[in-house]
Amino acid sequence: MRRVLILALLFGGMRLVVPLGSQGQGSQALLSFGFLILGAYTVGEIAKAVRLPKIVGYLAAGVIFGPYGLEVLSAAGAGRLAPISQLAIALIAYMAGAELRFQEIRERGVLLLKMTGTELLVTFAALFGVLYGFQAYVPFLQGAPEAQVLAFALLFAAIAIVHSPAVTLALLSETGARGPVARTTLGIVLLSDIAVVLFFSVALAVARALSPPTGATAAPSLGSVVWEIGGAVLVGAVLGGGVALYLRYVRRELMFFAVLVAFFGLEIARFAHVELLLTLLTAGFVTENLSREGEGIELLHAMERSAAPIFVVFFALSGAKIQVTQVVALAWIVVPIAIVRAGAIWAGTQLGAWWAGAGEPERRYAWMGLISQAGVAIGLASIVAEAYPEQGALLSTLLLSLVAINETVGPILFRRGLVASNEAPAGEPVPATAASAAPPTTLLDR
Amino acid sequence: MSSTFILVLVAVGAYLAAHVAFGWLAKRFLIVSGAEYLLLGVLLGPQVTGLISASVFSGFAPFLTLALGWIGTLVGAQFYLPSLLRYRAPVYRIAFFEAAATFVVMAGAMTLLFGWLFEMPLERALSPAVVLGAIATASSPAGIGLVAQRVGAGAIVRQLQMTTAIDALVAVTAFGLLLSIDHPAPAGTPRPPTATEWAVISVGIGVVGGTLFHLFLGEERKIDRLFISLAGAIILASGAAAYMRLSPLLPAMLIGAILINTSGNRQEIAQVLVSVERPIYFVLLIFAGAAWQPSDRAWILPVIIYLLVRIATKTGAAYLGAWANGALPALGPHWGRALWGQGGLAIAIALNYLQHEYSVLANVIFTAALVSVLLTDVMSARVAESVVRSARERLGIQIPGAYAATSSASPEEAE
Repeated sequence: MRRVLILALLFGGMRLVVPLGSQGQGSQALLSFGFLILGAYTVGEIAKAVRLPKIVGYLAAGVIFGPYGLEVLSAAGAGRLAPISQLAIALIAYMAGAELRFQEIRERGVLLLKMTGTELLVTFAALFGVLYGFQAYVPFLQGAPEAQVLAFALLFAAIAIVHSPAVTLALLSETGARGPVARTTLGIVLLSDIAVVLFFSVALAVARALSPPTGATAAPSLGSVVWEIGGAVLVGAVLGGGVALYLRYVRRELMFFAVLVAFFGLEIARFAHVELLLTLLTAGFVTENLSREGEGIELLHAMERSAAPIFVVFFALSGAKIQVTQVVALAWIVVPIAIVRAGAIWAGTQLGAWWAGAGEPERRYAWMGLISQAGVAIGLASIVAEAYPEQGALLSTLLLSLVAINETVGPILFRRGLVASNEAPAGEPVPATAASAAPPTTLLDR
Repeated sequence: MSSTFILVLVAVGAYLAAHVAFGWLAKRFLIVSGAEYLLLGVLLGPQVTGLISASVFSGFAPFLTLALGWIGTLVGAQFYLPSLLRYRAPVYRIAFFEAAATFVVMAGAMTLLFGWLFEMPLERALSPAVVLGAIATASSPAGIGLVAQRVGAGAIVRQLQMTTAIDALVAVTAFGLLLSIDHPAPAGTPRPPTATEWAVISVGIGVVGGTLFHLFLGEERKIDRLFISLAGAIILASGAAAYMRLSPLLPAMLIGAILINTSGNRQEIAQVLVSVERPIYFVLLIFAGAAWQPSDRAWILPVIIYLLVRIATKTGAAYLGAWANGALPALGPHWGRALWGQGGLAIAIALNYLQHEYSVLANVIFTAALVSVLLTDVMSARVAESVVRSARERLGIQIPGAYAATSSASPEEAE
C-alpha cells in the first residue's frame, strides 16, 4: 500500500513537470522508463501478495501505465524503449541456452522431440481447423476467396502455436522449480521456438503463393531460411566459444560483460541475418557446456542481475501493447480460440508423453507451461501485418488479442502446474539457480 | 557493415585487450584503469574512425543520462553523517578551502581568458568559465583509493579522501546551480520559472525524490530487489532533471545522500551502487571519448591554461589550506599534488554540459576535461603514493615498499 501511495505521488509529480520539459535527448523516454520500473515492480509485488506470478503484475503495470491506460508511457515512448525489449530477448535466449546441459539433451532429447513434435502438430491442426471451419464468423475471412482463407488460417495457426521462452524462463526463475515438469516444459518451449521459426517461414512462403499480397516484399528464399537457422547455430557457437574463453582467461567485470555479450549477440545476429533467439540460445548452451564448473554459473548470475530491471520493463512493455478495449471487442471469438488452443496443447502433450513414455508428472502438468505467449508471437504477427498490409492488420489484431489472453492466463496456469507437481512452493519462491549454494539471485524474484 | 556492429566488435576486442593490459599495468605500475576507455571512445568517434555516429550517440543519450544520475548518487552516498562526524573540523576547513579556492580561481581566470581570447562579454564568458571551475574542482578518488588499499588508511589518506568528496560536492553543486541559473525558458509556458525557481526544482527533485524513494525502498535488503527499485529511482530522477534541462548530477547526489543517511539498509544500497559503478563508468568514458570534437575556435590555449591553472591552484590552495590550519607538518607542502587526478566526475560534468544545445564553448570545455583526465588519470595513483610516502617519511613512520603488499595494521594509524 505504501508503495502504491508513493507511486501515485510520483505520478502526480511527473504530471507537474511535463509542461516544464523538452522533448530532446530521449529524456522523456527515460522518465517513463524509470516510472515504469517502479510501477511494474510495485504491481509485481501486489501480484505476489495475491499469489499470482509477478510477471502478471508487470504485464498489468504495462496495461495500466501504457498508451491505452494512464499514458505515462506514450506509443512513441514505447517505441524509443524498443531496444530494451530486444536486449531482453537476447538475454532471455542466452540464459535459456545456458540452462540446457549436453548430458540432459543426450538423455532426454528423443523424449523432448517426440513431445514437441506431437504437441505442435496437434495444436496447429486444431487451430487451422477452427479458423477454417468457422471462417464465416471471423471478420477478415467472411466472404474471402478460398485460397485467401487457407493462407490466413495457415498463418494464424503457424503463429498461434508459438510458446513463450521469456515467460517460461522467468517463471522457472521466480519459482525456483527445477524438476522434470520444469525441465520438460523448458525443453519443449526452446525446441518449439526453433521449429516455429522454420515452420513460420515455410507457412509464409506457402501463404504468399496461395494469396499473393498486394505491394508486399518478396518472400524469403529457402536458402535464406536455411541460413537463418544454420547460420544462427554457427554464429552462436562461435560466440559461445568466445565467451567461454573469456571466462577461462579473463573473468572480470562480469556484469558489464554479460550485457555486452547480449548486445553483441543482438548485433551480430542482425548483421549476419541469422535468427536472434537461436543465436543467443546456442551461445548460452555452448558457453555453459564448454566452461569449467562454476564459470558459466558466475556469468549467469551476473547476467541475471544486470537483466533484472530490463526484464521488468520488457514485460511491462509487452503489457503496454495490450489494447484492453480491442481484446474485449474480440472476446467472443478470441476466447473460444484460446480454449481450443489450450485443449489442443493438452491433447498434444498427452499424446506426445504417451508416445515418448514420459513420466506421470510431465504427462499431467507439462501442458500448463505451454499456454503462455509473448514477444515471439507479437513479432511474428507484426511480420504478417507487414507482409499483408490490408488483411494482415486484422489478423494481427486477432493474434494480439489471443496473445493478450494467453500472456495473462499462461503464467498463472504454469505456476499452478509447478505447484501441483510439487516442483515449486505455493508461497514464497526459492532461489532459482542451478548452484543451490549460490547467492539468491533469482531472475524475477526481486 | 552496420556501424553499431563494428562498434560492438571493436568495443569487445578493445575491452579484452585494454582490460588485460591495464590490469597488468595497474598491478605493476600503479596505473588507474579508465583513460584507455576514453581513448577508445575517441578512436571510435566521428573524429577518427566514425564508428560511433551521431545517430548512435543520440540513441544512447538516455543511457548517458542514467550514467550521470548513477555517478551523482555515488557522490551523494559518500556523505554518511555518522562517519563524517568522526572527522575533525580542520579536515573540513582544509577541504572546503581547497575546493572553493580552486573553483573561484579557475572560474575567474577562465572568465578573463575567454573574454579576451574569444572577444566575448564577460557575463557571457562567465557561464563556460564556471563550468570549467566546477570541472577543475573535481578530483578523482580512484588513485587515492588504490594507494589506501596498498598502504592502509592514515591521516593524510583520510584528508585526501575527504577532500575529494568535498571537491565532488562543490563541483556538482556549482554545476547544478549554474544550469538552474543559466536556463532557457521552456516553450509554451505562460510564465517561465525564474533562476531561483529552477534551483528549487533541481534541489526539490533530489530532496522529494530521495524522501519518496527512501519510503519506497523501505527495509528491503535483498540486493537484487534493491537493484531494480534503485535503478528505477535513479532513472526516474535523472530523467526528470534531464527532461527539464537541469543537471541530473545534483538531484541524484541529494538522493544518494538521503538514502544513505535515512535507510537502515544503507550497506546494501551502497553495495548495489558500487556494483554497477565500473560498468557505467566505462561506458560513460567510451561515449565521452566518442562525443569529443575539436572546437572551431582556438581551443589549445584554453586547454593548456586550464591544465596549468588547475595544477597551480590545486597545489597552492591545498598548501594554503593546510598552512592556515596548522596541518602542513602532517600533510606536507605538496599534498595537493595528490588531488591532480581527474576521472569520471569531471567527464560527467563536461558531458552533461555538452548535451545542452545552448551551451557556450561546450567543445572547448569538453576538450579541456578530456585532456585533463587523459593526462592525470594515468599518473594519479603514483603521485598520490609519492605524497603519502613523503608525508610518512617526514614523520618518521615505517612504510611498506612502494609495491609491497600491505599489512592489515597500518603504521600510520599511530598518527
